[in-house]
Amino acid sequence: VQNINKWSVLSVTALAAVLIVLPLVVKSSFAIDIFIRILLFSFLGVAWNLMGGYAKQLSLGHVAYFGLGAYTSTIMQVDFGISPWIGMIAGGVVAMLASLPIGWLCFRLRGPYFTIATIATAQALMLIFLKFRDFAWGAEGTTIPNLGNAPLMMQFDVKSSYYYVVLGLLALGLAVTYRIENSWMGYYLVAIGEDEDAAEAIGVNAPSMKRNIYMISAFLTALAGTFYIQYIYFIDPPTAFNFNISIEAALVSIVGGIGTLWGPVIGTILLETTSTLLQSWLGSSIAGLQLTIYSLILMAVILWRPTGLIGVVTEAYQRYVQRRTARA
Amino acid sequence: MLETVVQAVINGLLIGGIYALVSIGVTLIFGVVKIVNFAQGEFVMIGMYISFFLATYFGIDPLVSLVVTMPVLFVAGVLIQHFLISRVLGPNDMPQIFLTFALSLLLLNLALMLFTANYRTVHTSYSDEAIHLDGLYIPVAKLIAFVVAMILSGALWVFLHTTDLGKAMRAASQNRDVATLMGINPNRVFCVALGIALALAGAAGSLLMPFYSAYPFVGQVFVLMAFVAVVLGTLGNVMGALVASLMMGVAESLGIQYVGADSGLLVVFAMLLLTLAFKPNGLGGGRAR
Repeated sequence: VQNINKWSVLSVTALAAVLIVLPLVVKSSFAIDIFIRILLFSFLGVAWNLMGGYAKQLSLGHVAYFGLGAYTSTIMQVDFGISPWIGMIAGGVVAMLASLPIGWLCFRLRGPYFTIATIATAQALMLIFLKFRDFAWGAEGTTIPNLGNAPLMMQFDVKSSYYYVVLGLLALGLAVTYRIENSWMGYYLVAIGEDEDAAEAIGVNAPSMKRNIYMISAFLTALAGTFYIQYIYFIDPPTAFNFNISIEAALVSIVGGIGTLWGPVIGTILLETTSTLLQSWLGSSIAGLQLTIYSLILMAVILWRPTGLIGVVTEAYQRYVQRRTARA
Repeated sequence: MLETVVQAVINGLLIGGIYALVSIGVTLIFGVVKIVNFAQGEFVMIGMYISFFLATYFGIDPLVSLVVTMPVLFVAGVLIQHFLISRVLGPNDMPQIFLTFALSLLLLNLALMLFTANYRTVHTSYSDEAIHLDGLYIPVAKLIAFVVAMILSGALWVFLHTTDLGKAMRAASQNRDVATLMGINPNRVFCVALGIALALAGAAGSLLMPFYSAYPFVGQVFVLMAFVAVVLGTLGNVMGALVASLMMGVAESLGIQYVGADSGLLVVFAMLLLTLAFKPNGLGGGRAR
């Protein structure tokens, strides 16, 4: 066990080193763009996984917090000239506060109907942003003023800088997950996920636990929203509240391994690589192809490996470590 | 003034009949198999495309194509239950939610790839016909759709209350374990429930075709409406879903009339949120899940 732990620390350090050096070696902006996507969706998956994976509260409305984060920082930046770095935190706080009433409503339902309620609240939020044009540019949206290279305003002239921002976000998400996984809260959440009534019977305060993890998950998701809008320099309701973001956050976690630290990362790498390869192989993007492939992968995983593909990876890893330690 | 209200209510009731077919399917599956079929709307879409192609290439009236869509989707339902859903039934919600959700994504995006995002319409002799009655305006195609929807709902009610299989389904929905002990074969009952639910969705598609466009995302409109109606009408309750669907149709139509043309969905979400806040077990009370 000690050996495995030592190996884990070593592997994570090595992985971090590779990820930090990566943009210095790979100069292609197309490749960096894909890395950024992978890191961003990994982070979204990690944030979703805290609530969906550990507590098994399967939300398909996380884009609500993504959008709130995106709009909060953009409004602060465009209307008041406040740096998106501050706006990002503010967006997180707004999302946290918004998760309270939304959670209050949605947690009244369990299982699939909780999922539907989360979809509905996210859609309702999008409709609100679409309709009120004097509040946040309505359906037209707005572009973010381009200041060239302005790190203090979260704007950079090289893509690799964005890469490091989102890498930092992912590291934060993983650190938060690691802390929670190894705390009482983590065990409570897993207990709620296994059987909520049984967990309450042995004294777990399920409503408060669910509320807390929902707030943390919403906070992190909002950070991704701010980053994304800063990266693409444009915001409108269908972009900021795109249902596909809710779907992908859940999808990468389930495909990778629900309720595990690295599951969302593994899931994102698999799905994003598949879709990139497919698109470059076909030479153009066909409407619907990406999600067709994703849904087939999702079905296959649910039918044959409901615990996710992380099992495959960890088994291979453990075999490797055992072989190495046996030799040494 | 009163006339506009009555007109809006009539419009709402007519479209509510279609919502009822979709939500009765959702609630039937939920009651009997204890899962939510996220793909229910996509079967409406498939029903619409079947009717569209039959009408375009063979000149078959969408209403006549009911005799094709309903059996085809019944068989599809049985197969989906037998080969997919039966494998994920268990104490854990995750696999069944994401299996049907994946099915929805798959069908939607396959339709997008095969049929493109274009809107497809079928023009029938009665598409533009309307009955004028005391200044009220009742489109014939919608009226036919409503009447057929009510007949199908009534037939389902009779089936559930008078036949052995129907009674077995109701028994299974009330208490699956006891029903199994009484000699009811759950798998057969589940297959029939899925079959009927999908056949109703297909029927909704065919009935819509004379006055509504088919496109890959069309099912999403109906399924959201159905989900709300099913919560409103108490989960698993067929009559509740029917009444709630008609109410939803009326609420949507009044919303369009008095709040704005694009606010139909907003009214629906508002109703869902109000239901959750004040009547989480549905208007009829009943037991929560």
